[in-house]
Amino acid sequence: MSVPLSHVLIVASLMFAMGLGCVVAWRANVIMMLIGIEIMLNAVMLTFVGGSAHWGIADGQLFSLMLMALTSAEVSLALAMVVYLHRRKQTVDTDQFDSMKG
Amino acid sequence: MLPIYLTFMLLLPLLGGLTCAVAGRKLPRALVEVLACATVWGSFVCSVLAATVYTGPQVITLADWFASFDLAIPVSLYLDPLSLSMVVMIGFVCGLIHVYSVFYMREDEDYARYFALLNLFVFAMLTLVLGETLPLLYLGWEGVGFCSYLLIGFWYSDPDNATAGRKAFITTRFGDVALMIALAWMFQLFGTLSITKVNGMGFLMPVSVLTMLGILFLVAAMGKSAQMPLMVWLPDAMAGPTPVSAMIHAATMVTAGVYLLARLLPLIGSSKAALAAIAVTGGLTAFYGATCALAQRDLKRVLAYSTISQIGYMMLGVGAGAVTAATFHLLVHAFFKALLFLGAGCVIAAMHHEQDIYKMGGLRRSLPLTFWSFLIGAACLAGIPLTGGFFSKDSILLAVWLKGGVLYQALYLLGLLTALITAFYSFRLMFLVFGGGNGHVHRSSGLTVMQAVLIPLAILGLFGGLLDLPSYLGGGYLSGFFATLPASDIPTGSHEQEIALQVVAGIVALLGLGAAYFRYGKGRSERMREAQAQPSPLLSFLAQGWYFDKLYHLVLIRPYQACAGFFSERVDRGVIDASVDGLSAGLGGAGRLFGRWSTGKVAVYLISFAAGGALILGYLAWLAL
Amino acid sequence: MEATLFYILAAVLLIGILLAITARQVVRSIVYLVTSFFALALMFYLLGAPLIAAFEVIIYAGAIMVLFLFVIMMLELESPEKLPHPHLKNWLPALLLAGAVVGSLVVLLCSRLQAVPPGFIEIPVRQFAFALFKQYGVAVEVVSMQLLFALVGALYLGRRR
Repeated sequence: MSVPLSHVLIVASLMFAMGLGCVVAWRANVIMMLIGIEIMLNAVMLTFVGGSAHWGIADGQLFSLMLMALTSAEVSLALAMVVYLHRRKQTVDTDQFDSMKG
Repeated sequence: MLPIYLTFMLLLPLLGGLTCAVAGRKLPRALVEVLACATVWGSFVCSVLAATVYTGPQVITLADWFASFDLAIPVSLYLDPLSLSMVVMIGFVCGLIHVYSVFYMREDEDYARYFALLNLFVFAMLTLVLGETLPLLYLGWEGVGFCSYLLIGFWYSDPDNATAGRKAFITTRFGDVALMIALAWMFQLFGTLSITKVNGMGFLMPVSVLTMLGILFLVAAMGKSAQMPLMVWLPDAMAGPTPVSAMIHAATMVTAGVYLLARLLPLIGSSKAALAAIAVTGGLTAFYGATCALAQRDLKRVLAYSTISQIGYMMLGVGAGAVTAATFHLLVHAFFKALLFLGAGCVIAAMHHEQDIYKMGGLRRSLPLTFWSFLIGAACLAGIPLTGGFFSKDSILLAVWLKGGVLYQALYLLGLLTALITAFYSFRLMFLVFGGGNGHVHRSSGLTVMQAVLIPLAILGLFGGLLDLPSYLGGGYLSGFFATLPASDIPTGSHEQEIALQVVAGIVALLGLGAAYFRYGKGRSERMREAQAQPSPLLSFLAQGWYFDKLYHLVLIRPYQACAGFFSERVDRGVIDASVDGLSAGLGGAGRLFGRWSTGKVAVYLISFAAGGALILGYLAWLAL
Repeated sequence: MEATLFYILAAVLLIGILLAITARQVVRSIVYLVTSFFALALMFYLLGAPLIAAFEVIIYAGAIMVLFLFVIMMLELESPEKLPHPHLKNWLPALLLAGAVVGSLVVLLCSRLQAVPPGFIEIPVRQFAFALFKQYGVAVEVVSMQLLFALVGALYLGRRR
């Protein structure tokens, strides 16, 4: 396949930027924020896989696998947290949870 | 045996002082008093024992103090005729003053502090006198200054007394700074600070350097010995208890400057200019003190100005190169000045702490013992022939006359004039205090002991002349004793010259006595009336000490206060405080501003975090561009 | 041919994500996301990582997204349509940040990777497995421990009080 690495990386960076935008913009909905994080993590995985393919080393793919495992752990905990918080305040708006105000 | 005597001589007052200072309040009063007196008398006994075994000048090293790099300062003591005669005098006079203090301070609650300081004062003065190295001498020098500060301001609850203490301390500090500079410079020049070594190295240095060193030591002596122009503290030092005044004026403190110059005379004596400066300072101060004493109304201030004047004589003697004469006068002066002050203390105690001489009178009959002692003291001060003061003062005048030259002859005439004034004001004091009628006094048991203390001093003052009789009467003990000193060559006059000068001095003193008798003895009631009236300008000029205080106030204190005010208002508060306040306010504001950032909302933190990441990325991209 | 396919997949991916993050409802956004993750899995396959492609489909599209759906249903949000929607003022910093990130990354990429020739090397599954279990054995253990902790944590948070 004759796609240059830079194109893969540009796609990954666009994806990452959109994920970031999602996290920043959707402060009213914690689930959308988590989705944004997933998008960013996938962008990172794309970068890893692209690099791995480019240099022919398995480590990049390996790390995307680790990342996947990590993400599933994170998502399970985060969603449990969302359920817990929603049970307490009946909302998913992150601005409502500001008891840590300095 | 000598080291043991010297060690105990120093240690006893120190131990006594420390014991009184640490445990004095817990101990019974009688024990503290006995302890304080016993240590000083023990010290005196040690000095007498040291005198009996004394054979010749000796350096005794007791311990090492500094021994690093080039600076080696052992704790070593130097015993020679000068220091030996000084320590015997100090031990004796201070011992008497201690005994006197026990009765004088009987009413005071703060006896522990008083006796601790008095003992430490003796210790500091002995250290000063015995120290072989200049830093040790300096230690004693500062110790004396410190103790005098605390003792002058002893009744510190009255702001005036505290101010007098501070004034003494600050004024003498000018001199101390000069001494410090001189010490540092001498170490740089000679590489040693041992007095005996330095004294033998004077010929190595050019005369100009020695002159400068001499001037620096003179400034140091001016501060400590209350010479012009640093004499303003001494009259105010009367704020302390009377025995303290006696101690400062007679035995310790003020003689330190004369002692320093006499001690270093072999070094600075080769500079004619330095000697002339010392002599001129002494002569002028003697005249100044005598004229001021003429117009004082306070009994103790008269004596204070007379001290300034007499120390001036001693400086004049040192300036003429006559260490023996100066020391002779120093010793005799110590006896009769202690006598005068302690007598004045008796008078003051008997007069319910009244110090105005115009309100006294008639004490001749009511306090006969005090009267006779005081009369001897005044006669010594006035230099009435055949008293101790006559011989000692005359030996100085003789030395000045024999020194020759226009300057010294002018100084001799000034000294003679001063002697006339001295005789006049001492008998003015006598006639005003003891003459007249209606002597009503307050008697107490303490007064009897206090008066008894005067007797040995009176005997010593009266027969002090025997210490150093003129050579035509067979020569003096002191001169023979001091012959071992490496003295500068003083021309010795013929017997006829000596007798002639003494006759002149005696006539002058008797003239002063006669004038005082006519003015204050016969015309006493007239003078008492005049005293009620407004004093004439000349009189107030003299009474105010030639307005030196006002001059210093104008020249030094006012500009200093203005400067201090400026720096405090504009620089300290205006710039430093304001900038620090501004800084803290700015930091506080910034902190509050940034504190608003921590909203507790996750989204805000996320945006901040992402913005930080974007910034780093942007920076990297900018680098790559 | 493969390159064309790659660009088409990239377009699907990006458009899917764009729709996902602007969707009005969370469920829709998840469905868009599943679509784009399928495209991403194909891209992984094209980049010579068939194993990762399979895991992407199984774990991401299959498990994690379904988990999201479960949670949305569990939350009993009365009417998901009435959830507050981001305003323009929320989108502005997002756009700014995203623009800055993309701009910087593109600048960096263009300045660094000019000289690198295109082309990819296939990594066989055997090599992948060797690296995973021989070289990174400890990491695998750590990750498994981490999953266990996440499981316990989720149980603790989710229990009824």
